[in-house]
Amino acid sequence: MDQNQLGNLWYVVGFVIAGTGFVFGTIALAWLLSHRTRGDEHKGYPYESGIDTFGDSHARFGIPFYIYALMFVAFDIEIVFIFLWALVFQDLLLGGLVSMLIFVAILMLGLAYAWRKGVLSWR
Amino acid sequence: MNRSASPASLIGRVVIPLLLIALVVGPVAVVFLATVIGPWVVGVVNSNLGILRFVLAIAGVLLFSIPAAFIIIYMELKVIAYMNLRVGPNRVLPAGAAHSVVAGLKVLTKEDFTPNGADRIVFTWSPVLVFLTAVMTFMVVPFGPGLVGAPLNIGLLYLFAVGGMSVVGLLLAGWSSFNKYSLLGGLRSAAQVVSYEIPLTLSVVGLILLAGTLSIDSIGRQQAGWVWDWFVFRQPLGALIFFIAGVAEANRTPFDLTEADSEIVAGFATEYSGMRFGFLFFAEYVNVFIMSALIVTMFFGAWNAPVDVNWLLRLVGVGPLSINLDPGQLGSSLMAAAAVVPLLATLILAAPVYLLRRHRPAWQALLAGFLLLNLLVLGVIGLAAYMDWDWVAGLVWFMLKSFVFVFVFVWMRATFPRVRIDQLMGFAWKWLLPAALLNLFVTAFAIVLIKSAGIN
Repeated sequence: MDQNQLGNLWYVVGFVIAGTGFVFGTIALAWLLSHRTRGDEHKGYPYESGIDTFGDSHARFGIPFYIYALMFVAFDIEIVFIFLWALVFQDLLLGGLVSMLIFVAILMLGLAYAWRKGVLSWR
Repeated sequence: MNRSASPASLIGRVVIPLLLIALVVGPVAVVFLATVIGPWVVGVVNSNLGILRFVLAIAGVLLFSIPAAFIIIYMELKVIAYMNLRVGPNRVLPAGAAHSVVAGLKVLTKEDFTPNGADRIVFTWSPVLVFLTAVMTFMVVPFGPGLVGAPLNIGLLYLFAVGGMSVVGLLLAGWSSFNKYSLLGGLRSAAQVVSYEIPLTLSVVGLILLAGTLSIDSIGRQQAGWVWDWFVFRQPLGALIFFIAGVAEANRTPFDLTEADSEIVAGFATEYSGMRFGFLFFAEYVNVFIMSALIVTMFFGAWNAPVDVNWLLRLVGVGPLSINLDPGQLGSSLMAAAAVVPLLATLILAAPVYLLRRHRPAWQALLAGFLLLNLLVLGVIGLAAYMDWDWVAGLVWFMLKSFVFVFVFVWMRATFPRVRIDQLMGFAWKWLLPAALLNLFVTAFAIVLIKSAGIN
């Protein structure tokens, strides 16, 4: 089985290479088929509803994006643990249920704190 | 005489010598192929079945994603048109059936432009990443029993690990475009996809508890039987959460804030044009199909028919069907049948057409008879394949169910208004996440109860 699963990893590599090749091949074909014009200086400007660009195009953005990303990391790692727990749950039963309840309760405490602090309401 | 060469003489000068050469070379080539190259090719193929499967799987997935995307785009145009009491595309082929293909070809010939401030390398690589994510998720989706790119035993984990990569692609597309709208669109899609990833993943945990495996193939096999053996009846809340979060993951209405054209133009795709734009949207439609396929695979019985076929057959008193036609045993009678039956059947099928519409010329009736014969033969072969090979039956049911869900996706786009971003994020964290955890613990508790009661 191990040999088989190791062989399956080659499928991942193969899909990456073939997918990338497919996309770049199509883009190259499009480059050969398509027309190109130089245009005037306005052609290369970032699109801003028809007026010339105003200010820095890498604009500043809100803090909530970062906070959501941080919360995602915390919960995603939790999910990795939960997946493993769920896989062997049929052998753990009550003990597993109680320990997972405690584990999730700690995380829920964090979510409740974030909720109370108003992080979850977009500002 | 100073006549210019007529077309016939041109054909005569070019084609007839070629035909003569073909007549001489053809039989020699056939004999050569059959005796020398044929066994060699068969030998090579037989000793490299693993590599052949590898190549076929990759080519199959890549080539399937193209018509799937075109069909979904056409459905989106036509279905929404009918829902809006419009006609929709009706120019290319009857009912505009090839409209999306022609649109795709048009994108291929458009100028692929990079704006001045853009980071060229990242700008090119981000559509690649987005499309690659879609293709790599396709790898573990089973289209039928055994009809899967690679049957990973960690399929679900792989699915969510790779599926999360699309965030990187969208974020890079937004950042590298050097445009305020793109930046906002990229960040929005990152925040949205990241937030809905959590309930999407948690909603499946109840299913893993029941199935006891991470292999998608095995989850599909466990749902064989009747309709009520499907996991949706044991995990209704999980299925609902998975569907809602899946819609958000695929950036579809009502959660399509990343392309909210009334707010941020086209979001992360604002500066894209030509084939790179094409791939961003290609990937979106492939994602729609993947989401439908995953919902079907995990909750709606995968490739299994809604009725237990074996039970039905036993009821009628027939064993598992198998058709055994040995050409060698049938011998010359088969050859005779192959020579006579098509001709006779064409004539027989043409007769009613000719009798019913007497003003039609005879050749039209014959053509109609021939087409009817082909349809009949296709139907018989299809039926035989359906009954004899379980992967054909699986593919049929899988595609039917998947496209029902694709239709639901399109239907939702015609029906629902777009939500606000604060509603979107609040819904994920305040409702879906607790609901998914509730589903998880209720399932676990039920399993503990059933196991300790000794029902097994």
